[in-house]
Amino acid sequence: MPLSKDELLKAYRMMKTIREFEERLHVEFATGEIPGFVHLYAGEEASATGFCMHLDDRDKIASNHRGHGHSIGKGCDVDAMMAEIYGRGNGLCGGKGGSMHIADLSKGMMGANGIVGGGSPLACGAALAAKQLGTGGVAISFFGDGASNQGTSMESLNLASVWNLPCIFVVENNGYAEATSSKYSVACDDAADRASAFNMPGVVVDGHDFFAVYEAAGEAVKRAREGKGPTLIECKLNRYYGHFEGDAQTYRGKDEVKNLRATIDCLDRFRAKVTSADLLSEAELDVIDGEVAALIDGSVEKAKAAPMPAPAELLTDVYISY
Amino acid sequence: MARNISYQQAIGEALAQEMERDETVILMGEDVAGGAGSPGEDDAWGGVLGVTKGLYGKFGDRVMDTPITESAFIGAAVGAATSGLRPVAELMFIDFMGVCFDQMFNQAAKFRYMFGGNAETPVVIRTMYGAGFRAAAQHSQCLYPVFTHIPGLKVVTPSTPYDAKGLLIQSIRDNDPVIFCEHKALYTLEGDVPEEAYAIPFGEANVTREGDDVTIVTLGRMLHVAHEAADALAKEKISCEVVDLRTTSPMDTDTIIESVENTGRLVVLDESHPRCSIATDVSAIVAQEAFGALKAPIRMVTAPHVPVPFAENLEDLYIPDAGQVQQAVRTVMGKD
Amino acid sequence: MSLDDHAPSIGVLANPAAGRDIRRLVAQASVFPIAEKRNMITRLFSSLGMLGVGTVYMMSDGNGIADRIRHALETPPPSDQIWPKVVFLDMPIEDRAVDTLVAAEKMVAHGVGGIIVLGGDGTHRLVASRAGDVPITALSTGTNNVFPAMREASIAGLAAGLVATGQVPVGDCAVRNKVLRVDVNGVESDLALVDLCTSTELWIGSRALWRAEGLDQLFLSFAEADAIGLSSIGGLIRPVTRAAEGGLWLNLADPASAPIIVTAPLAPGLMIDIGVEAVQDLRPGEAISLRAERGVVALDGEREIEFSQTDKLAVRLEWDGPLTLDISKVMTYAAEHELLHRVNAN
Repeated sequence: MPLSKDELLKAYRMMKTIREFEERLHVEFATGEIPGFVHLYAGEEASATGFCMHLDDRDKIASNHRGHGHSIGKGCDVDAMMAEIYGRGNGLCGGKGGSMHIADLSKGMMGANGIVGGGSPLACGAALAAKQLGTGGVAISFFGDGASNQGTSMESLNLASVWNLPCIFVVENNGYAEATSSKYSVACDDAADRASAFNMPGVVVDGHDFFAVYEAAGEAVKRAREGKGPTLIECKLNRYYGHFEGDAQTYRGKDEVKNLRATIDCLDRFRAKVTSADLLSEAELDVIDGEVAALIDGSVEKAKAAPMPAPAELLTDVYISY
Repeated sequence: MARNISYQQAIGEALAQEMERDETVILMGEDVAGGAGSPGEDDAWGGVLGVTKGLYGKFGDRVMDTPITESAFIGAAVGAATSGLRPVAELMFIDFMGVCFDQMFNQAAKFRYMFGGNAETPVVIRTMYGAGFRAAAQHSQCLYPVFTHIPGLKVVTPSTPYDAKGLLIQSIRDNDPVIFCEHKALYTLEGDVPEEAYAIPFGEANVTREGDDVTIVTLGRMLHVAHEAADALAKEKISCEVVDLRTTSPMDTDTIIESVENTGRLVVLDESHPRCSIATDVSAIVAQEAFGALKAPIRMVTAPHVPVPFAENLEDLYIPDAGQVQQAVRTVMGKD
Repeated sequence: MSLDDHAPSIGVLANPAAGRDIRRLVAQASVFPIAEKRNMITRLFSSLGMLGVGTVYMMSDGNGIADRIRHALETPPPSDQIWPKVVFLDMPIEDRAVDTLVAAEKMVAHGVGGIIVLGGDGTHRLVASRAGDVPITALSTGTNNVFPAMREASIAGLAAGLVATGQVPVGDCAVRNKVLRVDVNGVESDLALVDLCTSTELWIGSRALWRAEGLDQLFLSFAEADAIGLSSIGGLIRPVTRAAEGGLWLNLADPASAPIIVTAPLAPGLMIDIGVEAVQDLRPGEAISLRAERGVVALDGEREIEFSQTDKLAVRLEWDGPLTLDISKVMTYAAEHELLHRVNAN
């Protein structure tokens, strides 16, 4: 099924929103106004978008440190996300979560996760619930090459296979776990090899190409919805910024990021493809660019102006405080 | 109508009644049915000690054998709890928290607060604890203080068949993650248990024996040691009040303080280790809130600060006994 | 332990990415573990070293084979074996197809006496475009391929080594292959070894073609009835051998209305009804213009070129493809000329 014009516009808007959100955070973080740790998803937008375009309200995702893109993809409110990252009382989690713990269960976003490898068991649980309750939903765990080495990842692959869960494991391999290269740290080089060990299909896709991700994701989601079990998909992609903001990235090659941006940027590729195929015009995409820029401007402005959480909030949302 | 049934049967009955009442309640764990994929019976074990025996026959695929993969299935139970199920996961021995602690204390415990009140995680983790079975260092610990330390977790330590049933039903109906700790030496203990379902609220300690001279605060299996000591001390004309905490989080500090204000003396009896334990916690609370009522320094009776040993004589020495409690009570009475 | 640097050299080019595409998800294509590719390469080393090949040039890669081989080299081979010196080519690593092209060019520039290729049709296609007259020993990593065969690596290593060391004359045992060349707007753009297929799908996407819908025209340099993949569509109607002068081209259509329906194994485990409107001979040198206005061109089963209304594409069959070693012929020659057996004088 080729994507309709509306769907192409939606995909572009999603990718662009993620990019602008992250680029802006990069700038704002440098001013010192954003507390804590921020891990940016810029460069990886095609992955979150390629998967989330297939999802609906029945579906759940578990994310990771680098979770802003998945959150936007799953429909979390951008203003509330921005306010949360600024630690404001009107943030998505009332200012109690922050960047690493953004969640909106009402949208099926089960949380970014501060624990590397923490999400996959949770996704198994969401998939189990979908299966037991017969909702037709699927669950996706997004994790990185670093988390792919965690025991929880391996255990979850096994459990999902044993229970034939509608669960999709997405390894977003950006080449680095913090500062350590996946070439060094991952003994088994491709998801495909690991997946076959757990009796499920495993494929590698170009994570810079929205259409490649979208196609593979569609097949995996379909397979999960039809009760045929889990799939492991590895998106080979790159991040444009450091592990966290403030990471000088001295471990990366000279001009590595500059070259990536110039040659394989997922937004540039999307734009070039859809315009040369005459499906969308430059002008239509430019309109989205403008709207997204305004959205992000507004969200930063509102977040900065928003009040901090009331002190009494310290002791709420937990069953008891001593 | 109450009948005399065992602690183990009471737990099984609570599970069965709640699964009957609410079809979102599911059960998972290693061999909770026992026999998945094997050539013989599908319900061969019903848990390693038979606590869940028979549930598979009644509820089929809502009773799920898991691979030995605690991180994955405890995590899956937590994830399923955020997605519409009310899972009861069995962590066979509490000692095994070491391989799945992240899913309990970083994930389940945090969601509600960290997500600004927008998440509920109604998961129960049933787990077996305690010494006395010659199971040695990695299958005998009392780790409930570790869970009690973590905000967001509720921690339950039933001491009788009646409490086991009522507290487990409450645990399943509760919308927060609950660590339900079953002492392995209590499974065969019998007592009166009503047939119908009932829930015992959390955070309400049970004064199981009234007395005037000394308050003994205890929990779990140690309740019975406390009673044994109190019986013996009664012959020495020392009147002990015994408070069973039932839940360590939330903890019913009001009942403890009220009792100490009446007796003026406190002995805390806890099978866990002496540092950062329930014993130290209760002692600190009383020292802070009711120091003026104390007629003598508080005494703590705990296991020593060593791993649980294997040899019978050493393990017997390890577990706090009635003699140690009596000695502690005589000390606070100034009669040693 | 390294041999004389003047001893013959060979290139070993293994594609770490081969055998990981979406056919594992939409069909039941085999997974060929990196660890087994590494094992195949060390088996090649044993054969090549025994025959006196001095140097093996290998592609540097970011995806693991090079690292696995480095690790293997740190562990000495069995004491009765001599492995060649292994040189990893000095080249930029982009973890993309271009790496294979660069590596093949560099191997040729180093004057290798042969290139042993481990991969699928796609990998061989890339090497073929750069190998010139250097003979290729084609080894399949997986069951999803037509051009290379699944062979035991130690035997392939013996064959490649016998030719590279001059013990077996290349002319007797190597065959020239046909290729399909595609011209985009009059400029020679790329090639396929087995099949070139156009589809009205718009995007390269996840590369493989596995659905009947959208398949438009199919060009085949050869078509075997027992092949897997797109070439089976022709092979099951009118088989054409690798040695035959020409190839085939087919116009495809909706099976509901097409005069011929072929149930073809488009991927392992995936039998699909394909409608065929016409089958024609494809004569060498003849340029056939593509009829689709826009879509993608798949080369050896993988979508590679997106084209639009403004592009003009044409396909030619040419006999200027790579030289490939016939392993059976090399080994038979070796037997007939007593190269690997001797009479025991004792």
